[in-house]
Amino acid sequence: MTDKTKPITRQKFIEELRRYEKGSISRRHFLEATGLGTAMMVMGGAMPGLMPGRAHAQDLGDRVVLATWPNYHDAANFDRFKDEAGVLTQVNVFGSNEEMLAKLQAGGSGWDVFVPTNYAISTYVEADLIEPLDLSKLSNYDPAAFDQRFADAGTINGTVYAVPKNWGTTGIAFNSNKTGGIVDSWKTFFDGARDQFDGRVMVHDYQLTTIGNALVYFGHSFNSVDPAELADAEKLLIDVKPHLFAISSDYQPSMRNGDAWLTMCWTGDGKQMNSDMPEIGFALGREGGEIWSDYYAIPKSAPHREAAYALVNYLLAPEVNAREALAHGYPVADARTNALLPEALLKDPILYPAAELLSPLEFGAAVTLTDPNRAELMARFKSA
Amino acid sequence: MRLYAVTVYAFLYLPIAIIALFSFSAGRSASSMDGFTTAWYARALSNPFVMESLWTSLRVALLSAILATVSGTMAALALTGMKGRLRALFDGLVMIAVMIPGVVIGIAALIALMTVFGAVNPWIELILGRQLSMGLGSLIGLHGMFTMSLVVLIVRGRMETFDRAQIEASNDLGADPFGTFRQVTLPQIAPAILAGFLLAFTFSFDDFIMAFFVAGSETTLPIYIFSSIRRGVTPEINAIGTMVMVASLILLMIAQILLRPDKSRAEG
Amino acid sequence: MAMTQSRARALLLAPAGLWYVTLLVFPLAVVLIFSFGERNPIGGYAPGFTLEQYANLPSRFAAFRNTLTLAPLGTLAALIIAYPLAYYLALRVSPRWKTTLLILVIVPFWTSILIRSYAWIYLLGGNGIPALLEALGIDSIRLINTPFAVLVGIVYGYLPLMVFPIYVALDKLDKSLLDAASDLGTPPWRSFVQITLPLSMPGVLTGSMLVFILLTGEFLIPAILGGGKVFFVGNALVDLFLQSRNWAFGSAVAVALIVIMLIVVALYARAIRRFGASRDDVGIM
Repeated sequence: MTDKTKPITRQKFIEELRRYEKGSISRRHFLEATGLGTAMMVMGGAMPGLMPGRAHAQDLGDRVVLATWPNYHDAANFDRFKDEAGVLTQVNVFGSNEEMLAKLQAGGSGWDVFVPTNYAISTYVEADLIEPLDLSKLSNYDPAAFDQRFADAGTINGTVYAVPKNWGTTGIAFNSNKTGGIVDSWKTFFDGARDQFDGRVMVHDYQLTTIGNALVYFGHSFNSVDPAELADAEKLLIDVKPHLFAISSDYQPSMRNGDAWLTMCWTGDGKQMNSDMPEIGFALGREGGEIWSDYYAIPKSAPHREAAYALVNYLLAPEVNAREALAHGYPVADARTNALLPEALLKDPILYPAAELLSPLEFGAAVTLTDPNRAELMARFKSA
Repeated sequence: MRLYAVTVYAFLYLPIAIIALFSFSAGRSASSMDGFTTAWYARALSNPFVMESLWTSLRVALLSAILATVSGTMAALALTGMKGRLRALFDGLVMIAVMIPGVVIGIAALIALMTVFGAVNPWIELILGRQLSMGLGSLIGLHGMFTMSLVVLIVRGRMETFDRAQIEASNDLGADPFGTFRQVTLPQIAPAILAGFLLAFTFSFDDFIMAFFVAGSETTLPIYIFSSIRRGVTPEINAIGTMVMVASLILLMIAQILLRPDKSRAEG
Repeated sequence: MAMTQSRARALLLAPAGLWYVTLLVFPLAVVLIFSFGERNPIGGYAPGFTLEQYANLPSRFAAFRNTLTLAPLGTLAALIIAYPLAYYLALRVSPRWKTTLLILVIVPFWTSILIRSYAWIYLLGGNGIPALLEALGIDSIRLINTPFAVLVGIVYGYLPLMVFPIYVALDKLDKSLLDAASDLGTPPWRSFVQITLPLSMPGVLTGSMLVFILLTGEFLIPAILGGGKVFFVGNALVDLFLQSRNWAFGSAVAVALIVIMLIVVALYARAIRRFGASRDDVGIM
């Protein structure tokens, strides 16, 4: 890199970040001031394969469809991808891996890239729905740079089917003005729902996390498919249901406007709400819960395969990935990206909880997603 | 009585007023009013996904409404004065199509088409090098199937109330069947056909649930709005809603003016 | 002559017939067949012949119960709100204003139900009506994500469909009948009960049937205003196909829903015939 694009000092960066977080400067100004924006352009110039020119863009087509989770990208990155590669990204948002699997299984999804979570990938491979990745088209993917804990689920029997996007946890977001302090256990979460937080608690519209955390309440495994343990969870959930505010994975609006006080929450959502409203905090359940990693994968049915590879490759570029992380607040397992992120973010307890808090967490298992009894339990809970 | 009517109108228009009001909010959240701006309108109009989904919705609505109006009118003409088993069968199909919930029709079409596609795609890929999938075709087909039934009901209702003696007179005077249709029947049923077309268009333009299942990778405006609400609503969505509302209001006024010379028949 | 006429008829019916066969009859047949099958272990459908799916229907009892209580309730509420308005529009408003006022009833119906329902999230949410009530001294009322919110949503969404048929029936009413009754000294309430109400029955039945049919298959309004807590059969169906991926059971639920609707519609059709509604009224939607 030349001097002109040399990153600004760490101190200056953090100052700019503060200003950006406070909303006193625009995202564009922030990116310009910190050099994250120009770094991207330089990367484009230095690596022609990364940023196809106009002639090359013809081969990619003019569009790509991305199926992902809510609040999970920096929209400005897609604008840049459009400018640089000539490909317009259409973003479809989903609420659960089950929903994505259902849509893909039903065929004709039209997706080019989607974002499965660690435990879902083997099921997609089994069902013959995703293709092995051609790593020669993903020059920005450097396996050595990734923390293996959050990257290995993408490789099945030695074949790479998916490359890592982010990782995170499933914890509890609470509005401390209303809850009167930190809520950091599933016991308080579910007991409080029937007591002091009556009518103010939200659970996900997703069996994996809702049933999983109800299991953790009893000290069972997050991944249990044991009928007796599931029966405990069902009893708890059905008992709690009349006291819930809602069963929904879109909890940000209700938390922000104060209708809900407490919700199951993914890392980045917690970070986003906390940045805008400091009274909303995020904590992990002391009893345990889920730790997860998300991946980019390409469905076999992808209509715009070349554009799909270009988009994944683009999003894996450390500069782009860093902008993504600044926007969504999920931790990244890529050391190259982390090198570009401000210290404050890398030390944030929401993104990086203390080791002793992480240790009781479990990764979801493939069977946890596909177990028909869990699916049916969730359906009974919802229609109860 | 008048007070009551005013109250009901307030009930009908309060949410719409809220939508319109928040579309001018300068804040990012669509649930409070901070400042005044028209920027969201500019943003919505320059958002390629909004414009593209709007375009998809318009194309689907227009094509499905045209197909539904043509084949529905043809069927209504045939059914008028017809008796016997075929008539009963068709009446039954029309009723079933109108009666079965959109969610069931959408799901049924999805699993049926997917089963067929799964079976024939290997062959089609071998011969044509491409595959059948859900998309504009299935969307237009399903919307058209449903709205065609509405057209049949409306046009047939009109056919059965007008004076059939005129058709017989025309035939007696030696006009060929097509001439009779063009000069006698068509002018009589034109308002009903237009009403059917407008209804078909509106239904398709507004439908979410059928499209949700059979649209494949296509995004219609309601699907876009649904998935945007999930991403957290900005006043941009309200701006889109307000614009669609004003546009349909204008459309409705135009239709009303077109129908005015024959108001008594236009009420279908 | 008869030959060519029946051939012409067949030609005219062919497109519609083909359309119905491919996108109505065939899909419904597939649903029926699938409802006797099994769930594929990784989701979807596996062939088989079992009544297991139908035996499992009671597990969706609450969804059927919600639908079959809130749909009639919503229909009734819409009727109660719509009738006086239709009466007012048909019999009390000067002809000059009639068209304008009628159009004002339909206009909301011509805008996306999605956005209209979404507006109610705000109105019924903590910063909307409950905040207003709190200012009036009525505390901690929760409206959003309750059956009441869903009821408001469905009444709001389908009110125009109820107003219109009733208006048409009342508008046709021969006003000289009412004048004659009043000349004979009949009190207004008696002429309403004995003349107006019976004569408006076809409109009432048509409107109620329309609204009831749409409510029974409703998915969107409970999804938006029920917060996942107020569950209709439509929501159970969508979940079965888009979450638990149990096509076989989903098909059985769909068949059960269709059977219920057929029964209700058959009963309604009999009632309509009894009140002598013409097909014209059914055509008005």
